[in-house]
Amino acid sequence: MPKNTMQKITFILNNENIFADVKPNSTLLDFIRKKERLTGTKEVCKEGDCGACSVLIGELENGIVRYKNVTSCIYPIANAEGKHVVTIEGLNQNSLNKIQEFYVGENAAQCGFCTPGFIVSTAEYFLNNNERNVEKVYDSISGNICRCTGYGSIKRAAEKLVADVPEAPEDYGERLKFLIEKKIIPEYFLSIKDKLQNILQTKKIDADGAKGKTIVAGGTDLFVQRADEMLNEEGYFVKNFAKKFISEENGSVILSGATTFEDFFNSEIIKTAIPNIHKAFKLIASQAVRNSATLAGNIVNASPIGDMTIILLALNAKLILKGKREREIALKDFYLDYKKVDKANDEIIEKIIFEKPGRGFRFNFEKVSKRTHLDIASVNTAFAAFADDGIIRSATLSAGGIAPIPKVLEEATEFLSGKEINNALLNEVVEIANSVISPISDVRGSADYKRLLLGQLIKAHFIELFSDRLNVGEAI
Amino acid sequence: MSDKIVKSKFFFEEDFIETIGEVSSKEYKSLPPNKKLKYVGKPLNRKDAPVKASGKAKFTFDIELPHMVYARTLRSPHPNAIIKDIDTLHARQVPGVFAILHTFNMSAFNGGKIEWYGNSFLFDPHVRYVGDEIACVAAKDEETAERALKLIDVKYEILDYEIDAKKSMNSKLKIHPDGNVRRGKPFEYERGSVKDGFDEADEIIEDEFSTQVAVHNPTEPHCSVADWNKDKLTIYDSTQAVFRVRNMIADALDTPKDSVRIIKEYMGGGFGGKLEAGKYSVMAALLAKKLKRPVKILNDRREQNIALGNRPDSVQKLKIGVKTDGTITALNHYAYAAIGAYPSGGGCSWPLRTLYKCDNVRTEEYSVYTNAGRARAFRAPGNVQGTFGLESLLDEAAEKIGMDPLEFRVKNFVDFDQVGGKPYTSKMLIEAYKIGAKKIGWENRNKIPGGGKGYVKRGVGMASQIWWGGGGPPAHVRLELDSNGKIVAFAGSQDLGTGTYTFVAQVIGEILEIAPDNIDVVLGDTDRVPYGPSSGGSTTAPSISPAARDAAERMKEKLISNAAALWNVESENVGFENGTVFMKNDKSKKLSAKDIVAQLDDKKISALGSREANPDGYSVQTFGAQFAEVEVDTLTGNVRVLKVVAVHDVGRILNGKTLENQFHGGIIMGIGFALTEEQIRDEYTGKILNDNFHDYKVPTIKETPEIEVFILGEGDMKANNMGVKGIGEPAMIPTPAAIANAVYNAIGKRIKSLPITPDKIITALYDEA
Ligand code: FES
Ligand code: FES
Repeated sequence: MPKNTMQKITFILNNENIFADVKPNSTLLDFIRKKERLTGTKEVCKEGDCGACSVLIGELENGIVRYKNVTSCIYPIANAEGKHVVTIEGLNQNSLNKIQEFYVGENAAQCGFCTPGFIVSTAEYFLNNNERNVEKVYDSISGNICRCTGYGSIKRAAEKLVADVPEAPEDYGERLKFLIEKKIIPEYFLSIKDKLQNILQTKKIDADGAKGKTIVAGGTDLFVQRADEMLNEEGYFVKNFAKKFISEENGSVILSGATTFEDFFNSEIIKTAIPNIHKAFKLIASQAVRNSATLAGNIVNASPIGDMTIILLALNAKLILKGKREREIALKDFYLDYKKVDKANDEIIEKIIFEKPGRGFRFNFEKVSKRTHLDIASVNTAFAAFADDGIIRSATLSAGGIAPIPKVLEEATEFLSGKEINNALLNEVVEIANSVISPISDVRGSADYKRLLLGQLIKAHFIELFSDRLNVGEAI
Repeated sequence: MSDKIVKSKFFFEEDFIETIGEVSSKEYKSLPPNKKLKYVGKPLNRKDAPVKASGKAKFTFDIELPHMVYARTLRSPHPNAIIKDIDTLHARQVPGVFAILHTFNMSAFNGGKIEWYGNSFLFDPHVRYVGDEIACVAAKDEETAERALKLIDVKYEILDYEIDAKKSMNSKLKIHPDGNVRRGKPFEYERGSVKDGFDEADEIIEDEFSTQVAVHNPTEPHCSVADWNKDKLTIYDSTQAVFRVRNMIADALDTPKDSVRIIKEYMGGGFGGKLEAGKYSVMAALLAKKLKRPVKILNDRREQNIALGNRPDSVQKLKIGVKTDGTITALNHYAYAAIGAYPSGGGCSWPLRTLYKCDNVRTEEYSVYTNAGRARAFRAPGNVQGTFGLESLLDEAAEKIGMDPLEFRVKNFVDFDQVGGKPYTSKMLIEAYKIGAKKIGWENRNKIPGGGKGYVKRGVGMASQIWWGGGGPPAHVRLELDSNGKIVAFAGSQDLGTGTYTFVAQVIGEILEIAPDNIDVVLGDTDRVPYGPSSGGSTTAPSISPAARDAAERMKEKLISNAAALWNVESENVGFENGTVFMKNDKSKKLSAKDIVAQLDDKKISALGSREANPDGYSVQTFGAQFAEVEVDTLTGNVRVLKVVAVHDVGRILNGKTLENQFHGGIIMGIGFALTEEQIRDEYTGKILNDNFHDYKVPTIKETPEIEVFILGEGDMKANNMGVKGIGEPAMIPTPAAIANAVYNAIGKRIKSLPITPDKIITALYDEA
């Protein structure tokens, strides 16, 4: 029988303290809509793919409340513990706020069902950007689906907003004040910090073991796949005790398992270590999902097409697992079979480590899916190489969607080292790659197509990284 | 009040319908062009925008009534099966479960016959697709209802099934007793002689095109809240058609129409999928009656995708005969479509019959029952599919005779309706071609398709559009002016988000010279508003805006005659300006609307306006052309739409901002249909493999190209007193075809089946063998 344990939870919803008994794995959205009857937050897809249920989550970090947007339909309510949750109602002011003013003025609400979600995501842009750049607004709302407007009016509202609101102070605390003054967020935001501090002081968060419980990190896939079962399970939330960090030590980059996708892509350490990584960023998930999804979650989920896993595979990443003992395992050895990983029940991924690449390092990520943005790949692949004087010194090629597990294509990887870069090499490596994969036909494409596609994407890697050494016309 | 009764016939979504109703026979002076007007045509903000932007708008999905109960539906896991037994014992034992309806306990309800499901039953003992309704549970909350659903034990006799239209056409398996081709035969049409036409041709081009199943996926799901008060049933419904739903529900429950009230204030989109009463609404009504409590029934995203309508697929075999000078001598269209397990329409030949001049035309269309979810009208049903086939073929023909595709279309322009034999009130397609070609840079397109340099190749293509969109009677608007001078318009319509609230106020404001902000508009309530049509087929604005004008003109006359009576003068001596009446020979004598009402015993004035009849001897249609520029990455097969130029003849613009919404929305939906949206049905299980937003891909903000919309003319004043035509569907019809033609121009390979996904491109480029 499923356990039906209730959990006490304390957080702030808009301007109100909430003390509630909840099923820890029920969703924040259900709490907002069904318990609190705040119906401005909508439900459309219930799996993180449309942004209609977007809310802001404010978290106290080093004395500052920082906000991000998440999709509340796949956000476990227990993760709200000690945080500030802001719905559209919590952004409303006596009259329309600045964002709403522009949405109304540009007719960016047609049927209006998606609109609160867009407003919340746009608020996130202002909270996290002091500079004005409309592309960044689009990033913030890229996970919001609108079926009516065709986005034209929404884009214009965004453009006019960034033109209207001046740059904000860099300091986060100052920025909040500025945003209040500009009517983007309401005044009560200033009182939240103290309230959160109070909550956190009175309540020590339990960092007990994970025995017998499902380990939920961001929950962005788990809640899509198994929401009903989850409801009656006792969850255990990595995020409640695991530290998030990205650091550099002795020539290695060390990431905590709890690092979110968004943290990863925004990290200066990552940006300097991996050239070209911003290109991958554009192809992976929506901002709201990136804010919740964690590296450890992506790795353990063992999807054959997990984007972050494919990237980390090419970087020859290692995992530090922590259970009774601590042990190290290469990421590529972690995958045993379809959705099977080398991990005991009580083990969690504590750290992910890869060597910081040095001179001559090049990196590229490619992905093809039905829809260019916010889609699961048919095939994805990453390529990391050290090359100079037209010679590949060493390289790693990883690929997903072509086997039951995400993979390093070892034969291709070995073959490449020491070879001169030219069209012949490219053709050979495509052939080798093709001989070692075993794609299956599914919703995302036929086996034949995925084969063809992997070849095309390897060509894309080479063209992206070594076009000066190739006859591009011939390559394609 | 209204002046005469007429029978009118117009195309509504999938078929012609005939209606009888009162029309206005008043004639008004022609409304001047928008630039001379104060409110009509101005890009005013939506009246309903603030309440939506603040999340305060209550959609049906948000409605909560005291003591409400929640219902969920058990749906068939099998594509074709007979229900032998249903055991609900365990489900009933779940605490909080209040009632369960299913096929074996429906005798009290007349057996539960549902006419619009081909005379099958609310819960039919024969389930015909994965998703067919089996039972419905009402419980204290949704979670409980869902838990109970899983505990209902159903015994099936599993039957063979067929989800493919072609196989179903020739199959022995019968989905309905009268066979798998709907109505037992194809819909056939012929004019002239195609045989003679093809004999005359210098070139004959034949090809086959296909389009996919697509799903409406409006953001708000289909849902209803049913509430009885004695013998009166109120249903809050997310619907495009309050009156139609009222009538259908009343029929299903066998109760008088006026004992049913349908309310819809705000809704999260419909796109054709919410034009009739849902079985779910009937279930909610029955449960609410039984439990004497309000019942809310929701359909989740999965149910949206499997059971609540789709655009049927199409397989189209086309044949065209042309002379070397570009004259089309014959057109032949043979098509079939899988309409799913219950009656619907799958025809797609209309554009081919009417868009280009051709004396010899033959079409043959089969709507085929399959064991799949039922097709419903979806934004320009048939025409989106048919336009893709026709416009692809036209480009092929133009290439064959070495003619520019645009020149070829100009050559075959026709200014009258070749099916009905009547001239069009307006058809500005030649102008559309000129403007569109200029704006897209037509002359810079690849002279040789696929001839561009580099591996990312650009291409330009275009397609034309025809659609009805003229609307018609009966449609009424009632105006009430109270003693505070407040004007309220009760319009026989509903706002799907398209802007009805706003344009009704603009039209009335224009005539009565009052700011639209000061006019309240009530829509979507069958007990409060006078009768009006469903909102589908791009008919709302052309049906309702003339009725609104009629109402306002009548109100103005009443104000004048009331003032004349108060002043003891003839009406001719009274003038009207800025919402006030004045004495013509003594302008200092004035009365505001409020002053007049204050002096009447009734303390109010009301005026009923009606839509006039459509013009005799004319065909009212919308036209347009869209031009697309695309970029195809020949390495990955990715297609990116860079720009779409849309030039349309759709009558007068009522509001530039709502018009923009409609056009951008239609074009983006067209991009989705062209590139990413496709329901995948598994032939081995009959199941839908992508019944969610994760795998059914609608476009995001990142897929939006630059879009330019250009509306031709100042209004089609022959069509109705406002010169208004519809725009919802015209916006989407030519987009996929234009994109497909642009892709061909980019890579020199024609993708003949939609959607144009990377795999099809790569396969066409590298794997032809
Ligand atoms: S409802 Fe779609 S993301 Fe939550
Ligand atoms: S306005 Fe309808 S979904 Fe966005």
